[in-house]
Amino acid sequence: MSAPVDLESWTGEDVNLADVGRALAQLRASSAEQGRPPNLRTSVMTHIAWVPPGWLDKARAALSGMGERHPSRTILLVPDPDAGENRIDASVSLECYVMPGIDRSVCSEVIELHLLGTLAKAPASIVEPLLISDLPVFLRWRGEPPWGAQELEQLVDLTDRLIVDSTEWDDLPSTYRQLVELFERTAVSDIAWERTSRWRTLLASLWPGIADVRTIRVRGTAAQAQLLGGWLRSRLGRDDIALEHVEAERLEGIELDGEAAPFPPGDPPQPSDVLSEELDRYTRDRVYEAAVRGAITE
Amino acid sequence: MNPLEEGLSLRRKPDSCVLVIFGASGDLTHKKLMPALYALMVRRLLPEHFAIVGVARSEADDDAFRGDMKEAVKKYGRDEFRDDTWDELASNMRYVATDFSDQTGEDKLEQLLEELDGQHKLGGNRLYYLAVPPVAHPTIVEALGKRRSHATGWARVIVEKPFGHDLESARSLNELLQQYFTEDEIFRIDHYLGKETVQNMLALRFANGIFEPIWNRQFVDHVQITVAESIGIEGRASFYESAGAIRDIFQNHMLQLLALTAMEPPIDFTAESVRNEKVKVLRALHTPGPKSVVRGQYGRGYVEGVEVPAYREEEGVARDSMTETYVAAKLFVDNWRWADTPFYVRMGKRLARRETTIAIQFKRAPHPPFEETTAEGLRPNVLIVHVQPDEGVSLAIGAKVPGQGMRIRTVHMDFLYGGAFRTGMPEAYERLILDAMLGDGTLFTRADEVEEQWLLVDAMVAAWQRDRPAFPNYAAGTWGPPSADELLHRDGRSWRRH
Repeated sequence: MSAPVDLESWTGEDVNLADVGRALAQLRASSAEQGRPPNLRTSVMTHIAWVPPGWLDKARAALSGMGERHPSRTILLVPDPDAGENRIDASVSLECYVMPGIDRSVCSEVIELHLLGTLAKAPASIVEPLLISDLPVFLRWRGEPPWGAQELEQLVDLTDRLIVDSTEWDDLPSTYRQLVELFERTAVSDIAWERTSRWRTLLASLWPGIADVRTIRVRGTAAQAQLLGGWLRSRLGRDDIALEHVEAERLEGIELDGEAAPFPPGDPPQPSDVLSEELDRYTRDRVYEAAVRGAITE
Repeated sequence: MNPLEEGLSLRRKPDSCVLVIFGASGDLTHKKLMPALYALMVRRLLPEHFAIVGVARSEADDDAFRGDMKEAVKKYGRDEFRDDTWDELASNMRYVATDFSDQTGEDKLEQLLEELDGQHKLGGNRLYYLAVPPVAHPTIVEALGKRRSHATGWARVIVEKPFGHDLESARSLNELLQQYFTEDEIFRIDHYLGKETVQNMLALRFANGIFEPIWNRQFVDHVQITVAESIGIEGRASFYESAGAIRDIFQNHMLQLLALTAMEPPIDFTAESVRNEKVKVLRALHTPGPKSVVRGQYGRGYVEGVEVPAYREEEGVARDSMTETYVAAKLFVDNWRWADTPFYVRMGKRLARRETTIAIQFKRAPHPPFEETTAEGLRPNVLIVHVQPDEGVSLAIGAKVPGQGMRIRTVHMDFLYGGAFRTGMPEAYERLILDAMLGDGTLFTRADEVEEQWLLVDAMVAAWQRDRPAFPNYAAGTWGPPSADELLHRDGRSWRRH
């Protein structure tokens, strides 16, 4: 993954969406040198990220290089409802990547909007004019979503896919009950689930011996443990599989009825790789949905 | 059925097998096959149990072969070289020196294959890659075939191009292969079909509702297919002198590109369905008369500022060689969809630049309501599939020039493959080797396709026996002989501007 060779930016305080649109147009025009062919603006999606201020650095890090892999318009929404005034502060940047062997660059747009005061409660009306027509909209929600709150409700209605990381949530598995409510409204991806993918492949290779498992012991995050337990219950059609969880920062091991499962080959994926995987999916993940339901049957 | 596999993005993983490369000391193995195998190893796409056996005439041992292949991967591989990945690939890599001139060579290879099979649980599965000149095919195929009856596991054979020299030799080779292998065990490679952009032609046509309804004689004025190389014969004089552009490019790559452009939608994407449709196009190709074919041979000229010798001055080429390095032709696909729609094709060496494109030129708007001067320079709509380089698709459309009044100019809407999908495009050989391991013949040519291709070539070449063009007739670094331009001018058309 290469760093962007050309990064133009603009910032403004107390702006409106027309200012943002103008800034984007100016950046696009100025990103190519005079007399050279214009840079390409290729997008495969609009990628919205709801990022409370405490998550901003992590969100920026995960987005680093994403423009190269998934050319898109990325809109970072940073809510600050307690700011004491109502306004939008914005920064707009254009990340251009040289295309190998071609005298042109492809550019992605990143729009960071700080929604101050009451504006944090009406994000849909702010985002909608900025969506790229006819392309899918992905919403990455950092932290635990405020279930039932209007900002979540509004944005879910705009999106084709909601991406969460249930590792960032408390009170699992009961919090999953709230998530289940969204399954009929939008497709849902969970980064915690994606992180279990290598292990699920490995466990699947233990079929048919694994069919009679009684206990799964997971050393990892609570989300990973719950989802793996729920997955086994739902796939095997058995509610009687017990889950034992040993807290760890990442998925370090699995035991089935006291016997350690072999470690999956390869290295664990990087955060941006995991998000990238999720941005490649367009349809509902029924197996995940069943695993979430399986987790809350315990 | 394993319920735990549902929803997992399981990659197609081939059965355990051994890949036996005949011609292991050749250019193809160094530049394409081994780098492709390394790339598959990096991506964990090779079978769980896998071995490689190199077979060639030159005396060498396993270590020397591994060392040679390691250097090749370092030089030609597309991935960063990692010792641990290489060591894993090289650990089951062996070498056999033989030219199959006697039984000893066969026995030596068979003994090694059995040993590897036992050691690495390969299930008796064997993929043979014939990266050798056609003259060596019969000896090797017969040697492999004789031992099939007492073998376990599957056996498949990949045959590199050129597949024969004419219809008769292609038929003989088909018959020989079919004595020992069934059609679904024979993989005739045309590496163009492994290119992402060639496969994208199928996606473009059959995954988009807007193109197929206008993909016919009613809307398409003509089609131009260009396979241009700026390089010369690169030391392959002995091959090229007997092949020429018509056997090197036209018989395989060009006709395959044409077939993919003109074919009817297959009912599904299985090997048989796709190949059935392609072969119908090849059968419908009308043999062009002598006036519809232009031959050329390059003289001295300049390529990228450097003076390059004429073809006849290349090492190993006869001073009075009549081998063509350029062919242009007007072809017709005689069927309901394409009747009377010309397919202009051109291919050659030492042309102005390297470019493979398929351009679908649509008919002009029937009655533009603008003054003539308004649309001066406006060209018809052209959909261009860039196979290489700049892989992608462009659509030339007319657009208003901003400002007072109405002036219309042609602009390009570009989709560049690398701009939307930044995952790195696999090399054609990676895809094709993997497909052969999986037994998927969709991107390989079938016996009847190859024979149809040779039938056309033989008919065209037969007419060439009677005349002797004044070669050389184009300068290196240009777009071919003037008569190629006349071929289109006669029809009131011209080759696409570059």
